[in-house]
Amino acid sequence: MDKEVAIVGYAQTPYVADFNESREMMVLQATRAVLENAGIKREELDTIVTANNDYLDGRTISNMRLVEPAGSWRKNESKVEMDGAFAMLYAVTRILSGDHDIALVLGESQASVYAGILPGIMMLDPTFDRQRWLLNEVSAAALQASAYMDASGVSEDQISGVAAKNLDNASRNPVAMRSIAGADAKKVKASRPLYSPITELMMAPQCDGACALVLASGKAAARFEKPVWIKGLGFAHDSYLTERPLDTMSSLKMAADSCYSQAGIEDASSQVDLAEVYERFAHEELMAYEALGFCEPMKGGAFFDSGATKMDGKLPVNASGGALGANVECAAGLARVIEAAMQIRGEAGDHQVQGVKTAVAHGQSGICAQENMVYVLGGE
Amino acid sequence: MGKHHDVAVVGVGLSKHVSKRRDVNMPELVWEAVSACYEDAGLKPKDVDAFATGNMPAFEGVNLPEEWGAGHWGAYGKPVLRITTGGTTGGSVAHGGYYLVASGLYDTVMAIAFEKQSDGNQTFGLNTVALADAAAQFKMGVDPGFIAAFGGGAVGVAVYQASSYMKSSGCTTHHLDMVSALCRNNAALNPYSHLKQPGLTPEQVAETTLLQYPIRFGHVCPSTDGACAMLFTTPEKAKKLTDKPAYVLSVSSCSDEAALVGIAGSGTTNVDPCEQESCKIAAARAYELAGIKDPRNEFDLAEPYAPFAHQMLMFYERLLLCDEGEAPSILDSGSMNLDGELPVCPSGGVISTNAIGASAMERIAECAVQIMGKGGERQVNKEVHKAVAHGWGGAVNLNVVAVLADTPRG
Amino acid sequence: MAAKAGKEPVPRVSMPLDPPFAWSVGNWIEHFFDGMKEGKIRASKCPSCGRVYLPPRMICERCFSRADDWVELPVTGTVRACTKASVKVAENGDMVDLESPEIIAMVQHDGADTCIAGRLEADDASIGMKVEAVLNPKAENALDLLAGYRPAG
Repeated sequence: MDKEVAIVGYAQTPYVADFNESREMMVLQATRAVLENAGIKREELDTIVTANNDYLDGRTISNMRLVEPAGSWRKNESKVEMDGAFAMLYAVTRILSGDHDIALVLGESQASVYAGILPGIMMLDPTFDRQRWLLNEVSAAALQASAYMDASGVSEDQISGVAAKNLDNASRNPVAMRSIAGADAKKVKASRPLYSPITELMMAPQCDGACALVLASGKAAARFEKPVWIKGLGFAHDSYLTERPLDTMSSLKMAADSCYSQAGIEDASSQVDLAEVYERFAHEELMAYEALGFCEPMKGGAFFDSGATKMDGKLPVNASGGALGANVECAAGLARVIEAAMQIRGEAGDHQVQGVKTAVAHGQSGICAQENMVYVLGGE
Repeated sequence: MGKHHDVAVVGVGLSKHVSKRRDVNMPELVWEAVSACYEDAGLKPKDVDAFATGNMPAFEGVNLPEEWGAGHWGAYGKPVLRITTGGTTGGSVAHGGYYLVASGLYDTVMAIAFEKQSDGNQTFGLNTVALADAAAQFKMGVDPGFIAAFGGGAVGVAVYQASSYMKSSGCTTHHLDMVSALCRNNAALNPYSHLKQPGLTPEQVAETTLLQYPIRFGHVCPSTDGACAMLFTTPEKAKKLTDKPAYVLSVSSCSDEAALVGIAGSGTTNVDPCEQESCKIAAARAYELAGIKDPRNEFDLAEPYAPFAHQMLMFYERLLLCDEGEAPSILDSGSMNLDGELPVCPSGGVISTNAIGASAMERIAECAVQIMGKGGERQVNKEVHKAVAHGWGGAVNLNVVAVLADTPRG
Repeated sequence: MAAKAGKEPVPRVSMPLDPPFAWSVGNWIEHFFDGMKEGKIRASKCPSCGRVYLPPRMICERCFSRADDWVELPVTGTVRACTKASVKVAENGDMVDLESPEIIAMVQHDGADTCIAGRLEADDASIGMKVEAVLNPKAENALDLLAGYRPAG
C-alpha cells in the first residue's frame, strides 16, 4: 500500500479539563482549523467520518448534532463509535473504494460532560461483570499491569519512568493537558494510589478536545504540499478481558504484523524512526513496545531502560507526551496519527525529533486495549 | 481516486424477530443471524477478513456491545469496525461492509446489525436523541415527563411529518391504511418478520386506535428483538460460492441539519420534516455511481425505510422513483404490490418488523435476497435486476441509500 | 484557536435519568446461576476444541462451535492477576477513596480456560496464589451467589 492515501491536513484543539464551549463549537474549531491547514474549502470534502460515542456525548446518535460543525451538512457522512484512529480506517477504505477523493476524519469528546469512568463500566458484560461493580477500565488495567509485571519482571519504577518520560515530553507540546517538566519516576509512583500498581499519574487524564485530519487519494494528493502517506495499516479485535491472557497485547501484535507486511517493515526496531502509541496507562506503552516489535517479548522494561524511546533515543515513543499528556476519548488515537504525521512533516515545534521518515501510530479502543489499530506513515 | 473493487453479496442471515427474547442474551441473539449467514454463504469465520457491526446502544444500555459479544460471531483476531448512526445504523454498517471490500483491503467482510429492545426501554432510547434539547428545557423548568410526551419518541416526530406530507401530496388517511395492509400482508409471507397479519384490510387498519392524528396504532412499527447479518466478498470469490450472487453497485449517505420538530430550542424547527432533501441527494449520488440514469424505470424493487405508513410513499418519492405527490396514485394502481410493476417492501417493511439498529440493513438484505431469488413465498413475481434500499434516521436528518443488482458495476 | 479561559462558563444541565434496563442473561448464564444455588460451579465446554468457559458462554470464540458440553468445576482456582484497590467507583463515575483497601483478583478455576474477576478476602495477594470460591447459595440476588474468593486450604 503506497501512494494511495495521504494525510494532507491536520488540526488539534487544545486538550483541556474543561473546554468551556459547547461540543458543537469545539468541533467547529477543529473543522475550521483542519480545512485551513489543508488549504481546502468545506465544499471540496467528499466524505466525513466522525468518531464519537453515545455514552460519552450523553445522547443517542451522537453524530446527529455534529452535522453542521463537522462540515458534513448535505454531504456523505458516517460515524465510527470507536477511537478516531478506527474512523480513519473507515475513511481510508472510502477513498480506496474509488467513490471518494477527499475525506475529513474527526474525533471528539468532553470529559467535563460525561460521568467519569461510568461509560467504560457500561462496556462490561451486563449479565455478570458489570453488575458486580468491581471491574472498570482502571481496575481492569491494574489487573493487566499485574499480569504483565509478573510475566515480564517489569517493576513499578519502570512503569513510573514511562509516565515521567511522557509527562516531561508533554511539557513541550502546546496542546497537552497534563505535563510535568523534568518529571521523575518517584513523583509518579508517589501520586494518589488508585488500583495497585496504578497511581493517578500513570493513568491518562480524561479531558475535553477534538482533533481532525484530511485524507486525500493518491491522485488528489498531488495538489497538496508535504503529503504524509499511509504505508500500511492493521486492525485486530481481542477476546473479552476475562477470556484472554492479560500479560500480552496479542491483538496489537496481530494488527502490527498485518500493518508491517503491507508497509514492507521486516524489523521495526531498525526501520521505524518514531512511534506514537495510545497508552491509556503507562504500563501499556511497555507492552506496546513488545507487540509493535520494537523489542523482544517481555523485554519492554529493558528496552525502556536503554533510553531508546526517549526524545533523543534511537526510536522515540510519544514525543508528544502521548495519552498521558491528554486523553480525549475517541480522539487520542487519532491524535497519535496526527502527531506522527507532524513529525514526518517536521512541524512538531518544540517536540520535533530530527530525521523522522517512517513513523508508527497506534490507536486503541475498549477495556484493556481490546481493539488495536496500527499505521505506518511515511513522507516523500 | 482509488481503484474500485466490485462487491458481491453471498450470504444473508436473520434471527427470528419477536417482541421479547428472554431466552437469549444480546450476543446469543445476534449469533442466530450470524450463523444463518455463514450457512447461507457456505463460509466459516476463518474465511472472513473483517467485520462491521452496529446497533443503537441506548436501547440496551451497553456501550460497545461487540467487546462483550463479538466472540460469539467468529470475530476473534479480526478487525471489528463499529459504525453507529441511529436509525440508519444497519444501512451504515452494511455500507461499511461494502467499503471494506470495495477498498481492496479486505476480500470477505461480514456486516452485523441488531437490536434487543426488550433489554431496555424504547421510549427512553428514543428520547435520548433529544436529550440536549430536553436538557435545555429542563433548565427552563419544564417537567421532564412533559418534554418526553410532547416532542420525544418517534411518534412525536412522525405525526408532524405525516401531516405535512399529506398536505403536500394529497395522500389521504386511506392511503396510510392501504400501506399498512400491503406491508403486513407481505410480512405474513416472510418467516423473519415480526407482525404477521395475513388478510389485513385497510378498513381494519382504519379501526385501530388513533394515537395522534393522522397516525393510528396500525400505522406504526412494532418494537422488535432481532438481528441481521450479511456477507460481502469479491466477484471472483462470489462466483465460487453461488451461481447467483447479488452485487452492491453503490452506496451513499447524506446528512442534513437536525430537525427535532416541535421541540423549542432545537435550532432548526423551520425545516419541513417531509422535505428530506438529504434522501434525494443520497439517492442521486448513489444512482450516479451505479450508472442508473432513469430510476423510475430501471428498478425492479424498492425497500424504503418506513416505520410509519406515510413514509413508504414519501420516501418512494424522495428516492426519485416518481414525481413528488405521485406516490399515492401509484399505490392506488397496485404497482407497489408483491406482483406489481415495482414492488415496494416485499419483506413487509419496517412497519412490520423494527429491531431498530438492524432495520436499515434488513432493507439491503431483502434486496439481495430477492435478486438471488431466495425470497420463498414472498419472492416477487418478476426477475429482479436492480433494487434500491434505503435507511432513515437521526433527528429526521440522516438518509442512506444502496443500489443492488444482479450484475456488478464493472 | 483556543479554549477561552476566563470566559463566562457555558451553562450546563444535569439530567436526572433513571433508565430501565432488564438484560436477558440467556440460558447459559442462567444455568450457571442455578448451579451456584446448589453449591456447584458449572462451566460450558466446547465439544470441538475443549476450551472451558467460566462464566459459561454459548459459543466458543475460537472455533465457533456451540459450547454445550457442561462440566462441573471445583471451587478452587489460581490467581492470574490481582490489584489492591485504594478506591472504588461512585455512582457519579468518580473514583473515591476506600476506608481500607480491598483486593480484586482475576481467578482461573481449576479446569477452566477463562477467568472470573472477584473480590478476594485477604490482606495481600500474589499471582499464582491458590484460592477458593465462597458461594452464597441462599443469596436472593443471583449476582451475590458468588460472594468472592478466599485463600485456599
